[in-house]
Amino acid sequence: MRRCFRAVVLFSVLLSPLAVASAAGQEATREETVVIVVGQEPASPIPTLLGNSAANQEYTDLLFLPLARLGPNNITTGDKDFIPQLAKSWSRPDSLTLIFEIDSRARWHDGAPVTARDAALALNLARDSTVDPQRALLLQHIAEVTAPDDSHLVVRFSEAYDEQFYDAVYHVSPLPSHLVASVPRGTLAQSGFAAAPVGNGPYRWVRRIPGQQLELTANDAFFLGRPGPRRVLILSVRDPEARINLLLSGSADVLTNVGALADVTRVSADKRIRIIPVPSFSVGYLSFNQRDPADLERPHPILSDPAVRAAIIKALDRRAIVEATFGPWSAVPEGPVPQLSWIRDAAFRPAPADPVGARALLRAQGWTDSDGDGVLDKGGKPLALGLSYPSQSAPRGQMALQVQEQLRQVGVRIDINRLDGPVWSERRNRGNFDIDFASSTMDPSPAGIVQSWGCAGRGGANKTYYCDPKVDSLLGLALHAPRKEALALYRQTVRTIVADAPAVFLYAPTTPVAVSDRIRRVEIVPSAPWSALWKWAPGPSR
Amino acid sequence: MTRWLARRALQAVLTFAVVTVLLFVLMRLTPGDPLQRLEGDRQLSAEAAAALRHRFGIDQPLSTQFGDFLGGVVRGDLGVSIEHYPTKVSTLVLSRLPASLLLGGTVLLLTFGIGITLGVYQAVHRGRRLDHWLTNSSLALYAMPSFWLGLVLAWFFGIRLHLLPVAQMHDPLLGANASWLVRAGDVARHLILPAATLTAVSLAAVMRYQRTALLEVLRLDFVLAARARGLPERQVLWRHAWRNALFPVVGLLGLWLPILVTGSVFVEQVFNWPGLGSLAADAVSARDYPVILGTAMLVSAQVLLGGFLADVAYYALDPRVRGA
Repeated sequence: MRRCFRAVVLFSVLLSPLAVASAAGQEATREETVVIVVGQEPASPIPTLLGNSAANQEYTDLLFLPLARLGPNNITTGDKDFIPQLAKSWSRPDSLTLIFEIDSRARWHDGAPVTARDAALALNLARDSTVDPQRALLLQHIAEVTAPDDSHLVVRFSEAYDEQFYDAVYHVSPLPSHLVASVPRGTLAQSGFAAAPVGNGPYRWVRRIPGQQLELTANDAFFLGRPGPRRVLILSVRDPEARINLLLSGSADVLTNVGALADVTRVSADKRIRIIPVPSFSVGYLSFNQRDPADLERPHPILSDPAVRAAIIKALDRRAIVEATFGPWSAVPEGPVPQLSWIRDAAFRPAPADPVGARALLRAQGWTDSDGDGVLDKGGKPLALGLSYPSQSAPRGQMALQVQEQLRQVGVRIDINRLDGPVWSERRNRGNFDIDFASSTMDPSPAGIVQSWGCAGRGGANKTYYCDPKVDSLLGLALHAPRKEALALYRQTVRTIVADAPAVFLYAPTTPVAVSDRIRRVEIVPSAPWSALWKWAPGPSR
Repeated sequence: MTRWLARRALQAVLTFAVVTVLLFVLMRLTPGDPLQRLEGDRQLSAEAAAALRHRFGIDQPLSTQFGDFLGGVVRGDLGVSIEHYPTKVSTLVLSRLPASLLLGGTVLLLTFGIGITLGVYQAVHRGRRLDHWLTNSSLALYAMPSFWLGLVLAWFFGIRLHLLPVAQMHDPLLGANASWLVRAGDVARHLILPAATLTAVSLAAVMRYQRTALLEVLRLDFVLAARARGLPERQVLWRHAWRNALFPVVGLLGLWLPILVTGSVFVEQVFNWPGLGSLAADAVSARDYPVILGTAMLVSAQVLLGGFLADVAYYALDPRVRGA
């Protein structure tokens, strides 16, 4: 033991010159830098144009400033809850027109002033279905965007509805027209601008090493204030253990999602690290395929029966599953309603599991255990279903096992298919599944429900082929109703979806973000997590 | 000699061509959608998905894709990465190659340097306590999964003792004006844990090969004759016995050359080492066909080159091969 100790001491002495040599070159900037470790690389953090991964969208906020931001309640109707950013003020001359006044202090990182033409260019690019078909669909109610002068942006809508302001400011931040306007629309992804974007936000682009890191530096000309952290490094680290090790060793300051409950416990044990709960726009659910995977023209032999779907939901103790997997870091949602949604009913409590009721419901549909093998059957066919999930998601794997066990107790056999991510995605898109364990990040607007649960979304975002015209009708009414009525209509929509039982809405997660205690004044805005990072105050190294 | 070399080189080139075709076909037969990662959490519209498929040419028939791929290979163009669009595959591979060469080269050097030395020591001192101890401990390390050992070392030296960095190849906070000495020291510190992990789990094979080969040679008559002629033991061992016991180790070195470019996928991931192994692993999970093909072709070329160089070394070292 003593020899072992000596060996370690000797090893330490041998390494110390290297440590000193390394430390000598870095002390000047370490204290002013914030190092963020992420699992998914923000490869193109540019608004509108280059892919639409959640990672890209999140880090766009460091480089680009929107006209206005969602307020703390994430209310997407009207304009009262929005916080002015690039737009100093706005007015509404009639029910179809919004006029924004751009703050004259705003500058692009190359020194050019930010004008209304920049905002008009970005909105018009986003409305072009050849550039960004997905956003073009979201902005379909915008009829015209013009810039009569440098400081005024006029957005005209084709119809009156309560989310006009949200549509005008949320989906797109302005782009520098003096750099982007001359680039042919189809080639922007390959342009010099895409390789080194020029923004107007609190941080400037320094460099990106593909698959490894993104480096940003403070923009001292940022008109809303001087950024506290002088440099931001975003390290892309695919291995979850490596991410946690970087944080625990003090090499990183922020871990954007600590991950599994065991990891949260392990990181929490380090007194130099705080865990900040950040509610999300995500919902995880088990969706029931209502079409036969072998022939999508036919109804699913088992799951097309709403009573069977309802029985499966009844049999599951959702709260127990979620608590065992996430601890306090997730809640059971009422329906397709994430924690941050303004239509969320905070008083909702999931019904307790009712395996007896579930069995009775299945028995009433003719499902009995005729051969005594523990699995219900009807007409010689067992009540057996496949459950697919992507292998990269450890929490979903853990929950799948619990679902399997709970359903076994009511006589439903679940065959778990743990699939490689791309294979899972491919099968999902082709409708080749019985039960799919999905997780999706939803738009702040509850109108987004129509994409996954509306009849028009079938075959697209609506993978289950669920369709209830009543849901579409309610969503249409909610979109055009004033806030109070809209809230009631959206909640009625959610209750209608839940009653139809197209899915088991299992969890609405809160993200555990780990931050080093050397950083003070930490503010993480759930709807735009890094938008307030420039206000943070990094301190001396640990 | 020239004819023999030409024949072996031609065999290697033909094998490489067959492997390349197989790689392309098998890759396209693998289930999975390469656009899934681009899609992220948000659903792509059908038009957007079609546009992306067209951009990467994966909407074309397999034969057209293969033709385009071969044309590109001939021109030295391996295509554009799907995951890192619009970065070229060759740019990605070249950017990761130095890290792989550094880690792989260090591991090869350490594994064969230490392994041969310890193997010779064990053969000379066979049956002694230290021989048994070295055998047992090297086999114990050999039996350990590299990622597990890596995690343990990272925890102990990085988190517990704060002595060594736990991940990355260099400190991203290093100032731009840091001297080359500081930079070299920084890379060396980051190299220690991944190199030690890979060396520890690979050492046993070289030690065992060298020990067994030398023990066999030491029993041969020419060694006895050398001793009988009164040559010093050191000369008998290194000049006569060891040279003849080197052939199996040379063969092993040829087989291990690919580690120069591939490193170890697990170890690279655990230490976030920016090498080709982790690039290939990421590409596989994203179904980034061009990058998978680029790295796989590099590895197969390395395997063939390793085999070829081992044959050449045999040829040069062993007169019996030349006579065959």
